Amino acid sequence: METRVKRFIKKYVEKAGAKGIVVGLSGGIDSCTTAALSALAIGGDKVLGLTLPEQETYNMRDMEHVKLISEKFGFKIETIDITPALEEIYNSIPIFDPADKLCKGNIKARLRIIYIYYYANKLNMLVCGSSDKSETMIGYFTKWGDIAADISPIMDLFKTQVRKLADYIGIPKEIVTKPASPMLWPGQLAEEELGIKYETLDLILYGLEHFMKTEEIAEQLGLKKELVDRIKNRWLYTEHKRQGLLTLKVGYRTVGKDFRLFRDPC
Amino acid sequence: MKEKINIALAQISCKRGDKEANLKKIEAKVVKAREQGAELVVFPELSLTGYVLRDQLYEVAENIPGPSVNTLEKLAKQNKVYIIVGMPELSEKTKATIYNTAVLIGPKGYIGKYRKMYLPTHSVFEEKRYFRPGYQAAAFDTEIGKLGIIICYDVFFPEVSRLTRLKGAQLIVCISASPGARRAFFETLTAARAIENTVFLAYVNLVGIEDGLQFWGGSRLIGPNGKVLVKAKYDEEDLVIGEVDYSTIKPIEAFVPTLKDLRPELFDKLKEHAEKL
Repeated sequence: METRVKRFIKKYVEKAGAKGIVVGLSGGIDSCTTAALSALAIGGDKVLGLTLPEQETYNMRDMEHVKLISEKFGFKIETIDITPALEEIYNSIPIFDPADKLCKGNIKARLRIIYIYYYANKLNMLVCGSSDKSETMIGYFTKWGDIAADISPIMDLFKTQVRKLADYIGIPKEIVTKPASPMLWPGQLAEEELGIKYETLDLILYGLEHFMKTEEIAEQLGLKKELVDRIKNRWLYTEHKRQGLLTLKVGYRTVGKDFRLFRDPC
Repeated sequence: MKEKINIALAQISCKRGDKEANLKKIEAKVVKAREQGAELVVFPELSLTGYVLRDQLYEVAENIPGPSVNTLEKLAKQNKVYIIVGMPELSEKTKATIYNTAVLIGPKGYIGKYRKMYLPTHSVFEEKRYFRPGYQAAAFDTEIGKLGIIICYDVFFPEVSRLTRLKGAQLIVCISASPGARRAFFETLTAARAIENTVFLAYVNLVGIEDGLQFWGGSRLIGPNGKVLVKAKYDEEDLVIGEVDYSTIKPIEAFVPTLKDLRPELFDKLKEHAEKL
């Protein structure tokens, strides 16, 4: 798997004629693994890890993990505190509601991607996303936020598979075993918020991927059907976050519908 | 067999993937159509489930007969009416082979089914990815006439309607899920199929928007001379009733004698050249 992911990254940097890769680096397992694989694929000197902390969710341990991983895999990091920019955005929105943590948190994810794409544009680099299959399938990400990328090399790997791959390529144990967090508000932990462990979630998603009915999945895993149905509904109802733009078909061929063109330039 | 029947064109939108909700709507329309004297109520292509189902098709497809057909049978018996509904049919012999099927049910229960022969897989359509095509034209002997069924894109292939007519159909029902950009084709072709076969043609299209596709409705009953006898609204749900008077076929068949003038040997030539296209 390591070889296939590395080949994918290398090929697409070449195809795009890019000088390297920018990865948003939170210190979590997905972004650390993606940055490390990028460095292994094209060389650390061509990889920039962009760390974008903000006051509310600032975590010293994550910063140490970012440093640790960049030193181990030999890529550069740059850290920008996005707190002042966030404050400006909050203050400029007439209907801003600080108590609505989801809307507020989504601003953070979308602001981070603005910085990431600025660097990519300016330095002629590709944005390498680090979304995994578990979170992507259930829509556990910010639309037009952290999911945004030019390539997403680990998006077809469930979280539990990413953990194995991370361990295999030598990501330090404390990063691999650290509880995942989207870092949208203080104390946010993925498994707590989702109400399910990734080990269980991934098995449910694997069953859904293989056209199994929720009854069968619940029976085989010894789970309540309601839980499996809840996950299935999250998967189905978040498809709008994963696909391109929804438009009304009026023309002969329609963007995002039946223009069937390849997306890489060569 | 009756010489005159009333047919209801039940132009509905569907709740995608929700067979229970769609069956409720079908029931309400059947009751309403029956009150207005309809003896046959026709619903659009895949109206049991909605059209744009993609991978969810594997989940909602059913055997025929099966649970949904059983519900439709009760409905037809209670209301002493014939019903045609489009639904994804799961083959009895396999686990994931699906047909795009129309089912015909009468006051005495299940009568038969037609499996769509031409599956569009171009533009926004991906039917061949999911469905296996049917291989048989369908014409059913009933008390309300000899009914033929075709489905949507089949109407672009004159041989399907011709074969259905040659099997004896006097009323061809074409159920459809046609999005807006193709309206002009269907309006022309439905009339053409009626004229060239001197047959009644009832076209029943879906309405509503599914995944950006807006189905245009415009269901209609066309006489054997190509005249539109009744027509439903464009783009909105509607229920219209038209009269099929089989006795009108005879004078038109004499006036436009396409069936008398058929040249069977051309079909051999057609086959020969179609194979070399």
